Amino acid sequence: MSATPLLSVRHAEKHFGGTPALVDAALDLLPGEVHALMGENGAGKSTLIKILAGVVNPDRAEIALSGQAVSIPNPQTAFDLGLRFIHQELAVVPQLSVAENLFLSHAYPRRAGFLVDWRRLNQSAKTVLDQLGIAHIDPRTRMARVGTGDQMLVKIASAFVTGDRQTPAVYIMDEPTAALTSEEVTRLFGVIRELKLQGCAVLYVSHRLEEIFQIADRVTVMRDGCVVGSALINETSSEKLIRQMTGRELSQTFPARETPLDSHIVLAVRNLATEYVCEVGFDLRAGEILGLAGLAGAGCTELLRALVGADPLRHGEIRLDGETRADLTPVSAWERGFAYVPEERRSQGLILSRSIRDNITLPHLQKISRGGILLDRRSEEQLSSVVGASVRLKAIGPRQTVRELSGGNQQKVMFARAMSRTPRLLLLDEPTRGVDVGAKFDIYTLIRQVSAQSVGVVLASSDLAELLGLCDRILILREGRQTAIVAASGLSQHELLTLCYGDGDRDD
Amino acid sequence: MRRLAVIAIVLCIVSIGFGTVAAQDAPSVAVITPYLAQPGTQFLVEGFEAAAEDKGWNVNVIDTAGDVAAVISRIEDMVNQGVDALVINVDPAQVEAGLQIAADASIPVFGMDAGSNPLLVTNVTSNGYAMAAETASYVVDRIGCAGRVVMFVFDPYPPVQKRGIIADAIFANCPDIEVIDRITPDVNDGGIADSRAQMEAVLAANPNTGSISAVWAAWDQPALGALQAIEAAGRENEGIVIVGIDANPQALDAIAAGGNFEASVAQDFSGIGAATASAVERVLAGETITQSVIYVPTVLVTNANVGDFLDN
Amino acid sequence: MTTDASIEQTAARIQWGRLLRTSGTLIGFLAIIVFFTINIPNTFLTVANWLNISQQVSMLAVIAFTMTIVMVMGDFDLSVGSMASLAGIIAALLFRDSQPVIVGVLVALGVGLLGGLFNGVLVSYVGIMPFVATLGTLTMFSGLAFLLSGGETIFGRDIPADFSGFARGGIPVGMVGERTLLFPNLTLIALIVLAVVWALLEQTTFGRRLYAIGGNAEAALLGGVRVRLLRLIAFMLTGFGAALGGLMYASRVASANPTQGAGLMLDAIAAVFLGMTMSEEGEPHVLGTLIGVLILGVLDNGLTQMRVDSYVREILIGAIIVAAVTSSSLAKRGR
Repeated sequence: MSATPLLSVRHAEKHFGGTPALVDAALDLLPGEVHALMGENGAGKSTLIKILAGVVNPDRAEIALSGQAVSIPNPQTAFDLGLRFIHQELAVVPQLSVAENLFLSHAYPRRAGFLVDWRRLNQSAKTVLDQLGIAHIDPRTRMARVGTGDQMLVKIASAFVTGDRQTPAVYIMDEPTAALTSEEVTRLFGVIRELKLQGCAVLYVSHRLEEIFQIADRVTVMRDGCVVGSALINETSSEKLIRQMTGRELSQTFPARETPLDSHIVLAVRNLATEYVCEVGFDLRAGEILGLAGLAGAGCTELLRALVGADPLRHGEIRLDGETRADLTPVSAWERGFAYVPEERRSQGLILSRSIRDNITLPHLQKISRGGILLDRRSEEQLSSVVGASVRLKAIGPRQTVRELSGGNQQKVMFARAMSRTPRLLLLDEPTRGVDVGAKFDIYTLIRQVSAQSVGVVLASSDLAELLGLCDRILILREGRQTAIVAASGLSQHELLTLCYGDGDRDD
Repeated sequence: MRRLAVIAIVLCIVSIGFGTVAAQDAPSVAVITPYLAQPGTQFLVEGFEAAAEDKGWNVNVIDTAGDVAAVISRIEDMVNQGVDALVINVDPAQVEAGLQIAADASIPVFGMDAGSNPLLVTNVTSNGYAMAAETASYVVDRIGCAGRVVMFVFDPYPPVQKRGIIADAIFANCPDIEVIDRITPDVNDGGIADSRAQMEAVLAANPNTGSISAVWAAWDQPALGALQAIEAAGRENEGIVIVGIDANPQALDAIAAGGNFEASVAQDFSGIGAATASAVERVLAGETITQSVIYVPTVLVTNANVGDFLDN
Repeated sequence: MTTDASIEQTAARIQWGRLLRTSGTLIGFLAIIVFFTINIPNTFLTVANWLNISQQVSMLAVIAFTMTIVMVMGDFDLSVGSMASLAGIIAALLFRDSQPVIVGVLVALGVGLLGGLFNGVLVSYVGIMPFVATLGTLTMFSGLAFLLSGGETIFGRDIPADFSGFARGGIPVGMVGERTLLFPNLTLIALIVLAVVWALLEQTTFGRRLYAIGGNAEAALLGGVRVRLLRLIAFMLTGFGAALGGLMYASRVASANPTQGAGLMLDAIAAVFLGMTMSEEGEPHVLGTLIGVLILGVLDNGLTQMRVDSYVREILIGAIIVAAVTSSSLAKRGR
């Protein structure tokens, strides 16, 4: 390991106002290395990446590429230096084709000086997609008609487009697998291994420990703006990493069930169908945690939306505590004691411009106001403080704007909202996506606590370990159809995945 | 944040340049109108300003861009400023709230082609009845007090309505004149297009040469529409006499061309402006004006004198 | 909720930053007042002049206050100007038909609610973008006003003295020399509308939910807010405000004309935008709108008294709006 690092950062410092975001951070990326960067939300990972991307100007930083000192004042310089960034958020132009999206930041090949050479564009796109093992995507398809997972792969592929420039040397991936199915993750890892062979370096940011141990060669952990440790992957362990990230011991990732299941049936669903899902039926007992598993697009999110009344039912029946709820809408669902934490907290869950208080009490205003009309801010703030504390929300106070919170704390606001008045039924869609390890554990504990209060929980997640660790039973969806309900205990991740693919004709 | 304050101050300093040029002891007069963008109003104001400049006044012309309520607001502001006199060019009935405030502050308000109102010292304007009488009598003389006449009128608008009734009276005085149609055109398109369509219908209903002797229009646009209809029907040589009122540039061109459009009446807008200025001067000098209206003569424009107007 | 010393420091810093970012427009407004006070020493900073200003902006204020309600949801209502004209025409036609003043006023206000209902149905149930829907109804209401009035101005004896006298009247508050100083009725109406809209937006669940819709309509829907119904109600309130503003205008000019409210729409939107520069998150608040309305009114009043040319005045007012919005967005970008 004496090779000159492809990218080296020393003494990186950044303060926002008076708060240090980054303190004397150092990082080396060796050629052919996949280097994982871990840390809780707010640990300084994003600031470091933004400095490399030229989006944030550091107070101080020594950056060297292959031993040569450089400065990165703006994103264009970062691009010209061969740095490529892959973010978790999709930024695609749905009206354009896959090929056009791939070459968006490059000049399209020309014919006669000004006409776009579509044939050559599509061919180049096909070459790139082939290299990455995602040849099943047709470059001429409109992006809008490509599935979410595939859109992410196209977005990732666009970072591999070199255009006329030299081959980029350093890839920086920020939670690239957040929206990917296991199959797509496998493909991505194939691509990363290919890059390693070419001598590129990859900085890989992820909250998923198992992924890190699968793909990374070295891992650096940050906490409170400082680098707290850097080690080869085979010299560390999950326990050690978690301890480094959180500063505390975690004996186990998933808190165990401590209360027995109730026999009372909270939610009964019979032959439910909407535009997106069909043939769904199950009974949910009080205190039971039912998992929803399926590949991307299998209908987990859509089933939750149907349960909360956001999508109209075609037929079927939803019974809460034995009473049929025919015309369910989100309004009546909340009133009946359904609590819903949607998949995309920023676009579907939170009013970012409003305070923590406003977000927590939104569905409960009718009950917490004077006569359902006049706001009662004192009660609202009391409630927000109490439930905020119960979900271990870190904030200045109930009046702080949600936009100012970190991702994990924003998710905790969603939980605080759901638990403000103890619900009868808690519907969770990917509750830990993009949340750091410490906050994840908090959320798992919360889910357990809620279920211990005889609340029925339906949990959709693409994190199989999470489903197996928390749920009593798991409902499998495939292409919008319910294919099985299985007991979670004794099930392995491999078996669960096989059920998701169906027929057992595919391997993990 | 602080930037805005700086910008506001800079802009206001710039505005001092506009604000403080005039001498402080000269009489100050404000002219307030919502209609400065219209050509007639511009001549009025220019006539007033020219006269006021000779008298050494400090004149402030305020245009409220069509907003009548803003005229009241600006009257309030100028009363508050303590101007010596106010001149308005808007229907006084609509701004009575402002006139009352000026009256309470004993500031004289003059109408410049505005309308009569007890709260105005006087209103300087053209005589609408007289203008209609000029063109109607021209028609009567040209066709020898006999023939079939088409009238274009617009009774919903009082200043035009009174032109119509004068023409009615003059034509009724000739037993051999028959008014074969009294048309109210749709004015939303400016008045020409619909007038032309209506005239075409009249021409079709009266196909024989000599069946139409004259077209009397209460303002120029219908007259121009009628002219177009007659020319399009190829009946321009039947001696149909067309007259309008206002002498707008298109009408002047038509009169100069020597076709069927024979006469119109020109208001002396800059003369009204100048006459308003002299009324203001008399009141400022301590004189009392007892006439509630002052007429400025109008001129009948025909092919004989149209050259005088085209030069302007 | 956990709190420690560093978080409290952060809190203090955030509060200061917020104050600086959001007070620019207010500082500008005060600077404008100071400037006019210096340049128009005898008449600008007087009770009489400020009562004048309050009366001059009252119609705009009512329309801008109620426009704030739909803009809280991130929507617009472009039809308020023509609704104002239509309401004036309808009241005047009823007066001409010898109906009592109260009948004319109530019917006109009812038409405002109906027009708002129509806008609301188009926007929230049919799903047309507010800009397009209200652009359409702008033309419809205006056309209706022309049709009903035959294009003419209704004035003179047709307008009862009780109606036109209202705009000239007020509550006596003192004497200046020999003249009684009146607190104008129109100002009183504007203040009542201000109080009602403020209470509605800031103190009720209705207002809280509107702000939630404006922040994130999808999240509000999934969070149990009746988005469609609330939007409908908000548009009705804006329509009502437009009709009320139109009646105030008709009372002030003692006449009704099918185009007289046309200028109010853009000024109302400008006032709300000026107010939005005073909020951290760029949300409209009715007290901000009040400052926006006053900025427009004070500039008109002061610049007229300083005898600045009408057209230069328009350029200055436009420039100040652009400057306020620019400086506030620059300040927000810099955080």
